[in-house]
Amino acid sequence: MPISVKLDDLLHQRRMTLTELAEKIDITLANLSILKTGKARAIRFSTLEAICEVMNCQPGDLLEFVPGPSAD
Amino acid sequence: MPHDKSAVLPIAYVLLRILIIFNWLYGAAILGLLAFTFVNEPWFMRAIDVPPGTDAQPIMIGLRVIALLGILAVPLNHLILTRLLRMAETVGRGDPFVAANAYRLNAIAWALMALQLLSIVIGAIGKSIASKEFPLHLDAGFSVSGWLAVILTFVLARVFAEGTLMREDLEGTI
Repeated sequence: MPISVKLDDLLHQRRMTLTELAEKIDITLANLSILKTGKARAIRFSTLEAICEVMNCQPGDLLEFVPGPSAD
Repeated sequence: MPHDKSAVLPIAYVLLRILIIFNWLYGAAILGLLAFTFVNEPWFMRAIDVPPGTDAQPIMIGLRVIALLGILAVPLNHLILTRLLRMAETVGRGDPFVAANAYRLNAIAWALMALQLLSIVIGAIGKSIASKEFPLHLDAGFSVSGWLAVILTFVLARVFAEGTLMREDLEGTI
C-alpha cells in the first residue's frame, strides 16, 4: 500500500503502548491495531487529530507515501 | 424496528418455503397435464370445450407450447424464491448489506425479466389460437407493472451493490 502508517515508530519514540494510546484517544484496541498494521482503508480526521494531539506530532509524522502498487 | 423483525421475518421464511413447494407442485401438475394431452387427446379436447367442426390441431399445439413455457417458468420461480429466502435469512442474521445479496437481487431481476418475456410469448400464442368459437382468456401478455418490477429490481440490485461497497469502505475506516 502506497500510504504507510508509522504508528509503531511513533509509539516507540514516545515510549507508549498501543493500549495506552487506545485509552487516551478513546478508540478500541482492535481498531487501533488495524491502523497500526496498515490494514485500515481510511482514517477519519477526528482520529488523526486525536492521535496527533496525544502523540504531540503532525499528520506527516504518522503517515508516509511510499511509491508502489495500490491496494485497490 | 424490533417488532417488524420479530413478526415479518418468520412469516416470510414460512411463506417462501411454502411457495417453493407449491411452485414445484405447480410444475408437476402442468407436466402431468402436458403428458396427459398425449396419452388421451380426445378426452382433453372435450375437457377444454373445443367446439365440433373447429380445427383442433393448432389449438392443441398452442396449448402444449403454452404448457411447456409454463414448465419453463418453474425453475425461474424457484430461483427467485430461493434467492429471496437467502436474502431474508441475512436480514434475520442482522447483516443484509453483503455483496452476495446484490448478486442475488441481480439474479432475481434477470429471472423476472425472463418471466415477463415468457408471459408475452404465452399471451401471443393464446391470442393466436383464440377465436369466436374458442375464446381463450389467459392472464398473460405485456404488463406495465411487471416490467416496472423488473426495472425496479435491477435498480435496487445496483443500489445494494453500491451500498455494500460503501459499507465495506466505512468498515475499514478508523
